[in-house]
Amino acid sequence: MSNDNSNLCEEEIFNAFYLKHIQAVSNFAYYKCGDKDASLDFVQDAFSKIWQNCFKIEFSKAKTYLFTTVNNLFLNSVRHTKVVLAYAKHSPYLDRTNESPEYILEEEEFKKKLQLLIAELSDEQREVFLLNRMEDKKYREIAELLDISQKTVEKRMSGALKFLRNNLGDINF
Amino acid sequence: MDVEKDILRWFDGQLSIEELKALYPNNDFRNLEKTAFYSKQFDVPKIDEQSALNDFKKRSLEKESGKVIPLNFKAFLKIAAVFLVMLGSSYFLFFNNEKTFTTDVAQSTSLILPDNSEVILNAKSKLSYNKKKWEKSRNLQLNGEAFFKVMKGEKFTVNTETGSVEVLGTQFNVKERENYFEVQCYEGSVRVTDQSNTVILKPGESYRIINGKVNPVEKFNSKNPSWLNSESTFNNVPFWQVIEEFERQYDITITVDNINTEEVFTGGFTHSNKEVALQSITIPLKISYKIKGDNIEFYNYEAK
Repeated sequence: MSNDNSNLCEEEIFNAFYLKHIQAVSNFAYYKCGDKDASLDFVQDAFSKIWQNCFKIEFSKAKTYLFTTVNNLFLNSVRHTKVVLAYAKHSPYLDRTNESPEYILEEEEFKKKLQLLIAELSDEQREVFLLNRMEDKKYREIAELLDISQKTVEKRMSGALKFLRNNLGDINF
Repeated sequence: MDVEKDILRWFDGQLSIEELKALYPNNDFRNLEKTAFYSKQFDVPKIDEQSALNDFKKRSLEKESGKVIPLNFKAFLKIAAVFLVMLGSSYFLFFNNEKTFTTDVAQSTSLILPDNSEVILNAKSKLSYNKKKWEKSRNLQLNGEAFFKVMKGEKFTVNTETGSVEVLGTQFNVKERENYFEVQCYEGSVRVTDQSNTVILKPGESYRIINGKVNPVEKFNSKNPSWLNSESTFNNVPFWQVIEEFERQYDITITVDNINTEEVFTGGFTHSNKEVALQSITIPLKISYKIKGDNIEFYNYEAK
């Protein structure tokens, strides 16, 4: 946020802002709805709102505005389907050295279970969890992005982890 | 030590898995390790940033030219209500076919109806009809007294609170005042219908309802109602009705003291000279009067 005085109404600045955040905010929308086209729609709508209200939005707040707008648009949309995210192809296993069929089978089963459990998280827990995992975001950054307190982020993350742990059959806790 | 908190710190990158394991050597973090690892491997659609921006530009341009405003039902209702009110009021302003004529105290006016029938409206009277429906049915509302010269044609109806008068083409007078209803036929014939009776009047016949009491058909001798010649004449009419008529013609109030206003009066008064008029209605009944501005008091001088 070096250029706090930037004006989003200037097309060049807006374009730069758009290109800088489009992927991240699309990912965020994707974590929420699990649908590529729908998430891009949310994102484009949110950018439209920013463009229309460019003179009202402080540049330093624009990123948060972008994410919270996507969030609101998502909440306002009627469609709430279960979000089952697909794994990337050719993703490595945790133990890269172990290539035994038993290990691979075990890991695939774990992945499948994890995938379904993530789909069962609440929208709030899932978005925090995936922003942390997929985007490597710190709780503080997530809080800033979603315009909520860090405590809330931690609470949601903790809830998500507890739910996953309990359902993955961890009995050691 | 709180393992939950430290797990959270591990996921936030403040603690490595090795440090966590060292802190809690008895705990099995295998599933959490796997969770942390595999939950990073979901596929996220890669956005072609530049083409997305181009799409966005197209879209925002479209938005400016033809912005879709979602139908807000509440706002829609408000607008609809405003339209309804406007429609309603404009209907009354522009399409109100009700034509109304009124006269005030001591006034009379003459008017021609669309079919060239003539109406002369006596003081403090109101006549209305529907312009649009007039061609189909000649229907009038009368409150007060009026003389009609009806052109020949379809049925011509004068409606009053007490009864209705129907004619084809004729001359007649209708007087509908409080507790007093009188129809006089001057030419042709008229049919009078009230709540209980239907009477057909021939020229020179009159029909009266006084205080709700129906009087038999009476004869009279005049070519025109006397009020057309600025005179009110009465034939066996209760005196209170004479007083009321006097008040209407001269814009005054009359109070009575010790006088029987049910006594019938035959005679008349002019509309052009108050003194003469007062004398012509008081002397026959042996009444005296005192003028106090707009108020006139009638009293019985024999009693004093």
